Amino acid sequence: MSITHHPPEDLLADLATGALGEAEHLVVGVHVAGCARCRRFVQAMEQLAGEALENAEPAAISDGAFDLLMARIQEAPPRDTRPSEARNVDEEEHRDLPEILRRCRLGKRRRVAPGVSVQPIDLPGRGKARAFLLQSAPGTRMIEHTHTGTELTCVLKGSFSHAGGRYGPGDFDYGDEDIDHRPIVGDEGPCLCVVAMIGDLRMNGFFGRLISPFVRL
Amino acid sequence: MIAAIRTTRLPNRAGIVLPSTTKAWPSVGASRGLKPKVEWSDLIGRVASHGDREAFRSLFEHFGPRIKGLMLKAGCSADEAEEIAQGTLIAVWRKAGQFDPASTGAAAWIFTIARNLRIDSLRRHARAGRFGEDADLANMPDATEPADVVISRVEDTARVKAAIDRLSDEQSKVIQLSFIEERPHPEIASLLGIPLGTVKSRIRLAMNRLRDLLDEAP
Repeated sequence: MSITHHPPEDLLADLATGALGEAEHLVVGVHVAGCARCRRFVQAMEQLAGEALENAEPAAISDGAFDLLMARIQEAPPRDTRPSEARNVDEEEHRDLPEILRRCRLGKRRRVAPGVSVQPIDLPGRGKARAFLLQSAPGTRMIEHTHTGTELTCVLKGSFSHAGGRYGPGDFDYGDEDIDHRPIVGDEGPCLCVVAMIGDLRMNGFFGRLISPFVRL
Repeated sequence: MIAAIRTTRLPNRAGIVLPSTTKAWPSVGASRGLKPKVEWSDLIGRVASHGDREAFRSLFEHFGPRIKGLMLKAGCSADEAEEIAQGTLIAVWRKAGQFDPASTGAAAWIFTIARNLRIDSLRRHARAGRFGEDADLANMPDATEPADVVISRVEDTARVKAAIDRLSDEQSKVIQLSFIEERPHPEIASLLGIPLGTVKSRIRLAMNRLRDLLDEAP
């Protein structure tokens, strides 16, 4: 299956320069990890950033910094600072998640509506966005909703469709306040997505009122 | 008499000195009398192969202040910017052996290390509320392997390079000003001498063009 929906270039550029918030970084990163086309774009941005670094106006570094640096290099051996292995691999179904996600700490999975469950992703910092895994049963019709903020979604398994087209594994969906979503989950199996949400969601239906408390967390 | 000597010497000296000190801003290695075109990759190679301290010093003196300058522009405080610059150079020393000149340029590689440290610094910041004692350099996470950034797997080097080469100077400039130096639009307008109203569309056009060039078969 090939990826047909990509993040806007701005988001890829911000990923390349490290300007994205944590949750957005995660979701765009998941897409890029699986999309050669967007990886090329990110690489191109990194090359341009290298050029910009070459041409950057130098800012004076404090006196004696080099000797201090050498002393630090000698006294502190490289530490193995890989992130702690805290993860949720015990959940069989998540074993095949992309590597970036497997390194995340996942919260408790909760059912939020019939056929729909949500598993928060614990992010170390405190960005403005929240990230979570959203799993929906085949054929689920998601509640109609609009945003007061933005929502970034990358499909991991299964598919959903809405006015923008069909979104399968690896596809990226970008929603903002202008878009009225009413996605329908594909019949081929459960749909698992990783979602970053900035701002609030306004639910337009009965279930919306039901799950709103969750969405505000 | 002395004054006469001074006046005759001064213009003379200025005449000699001026052409060799590149005051303009793509200044590459001008500070240490290095030739304008330094192969940074070779220096990284020398650090990797035998811990060449002088090669490393050249890298430090060139990139340290530039990383700091770029980070300041991107909104870091002076302390953070310097810390990122130093942390980046420590990682360059330690990871020099992992640098692959065939796949990426030295400056781009160094940028990605600095970027990863900036991401980590922002997160530590958010976690600790403010820079605490764990911001010590020794505790800097491994910058070439950040917690969750698995981007920069270089594969289509030639294709990416070809696309960038075909981007016009003006287009790469507008992308750099907007996304890498994170300059506000009014500043971009005055730097490029274009009306404020057209900055947004210039950026968009440049980004679309880059995307198209990358999509074209090599």
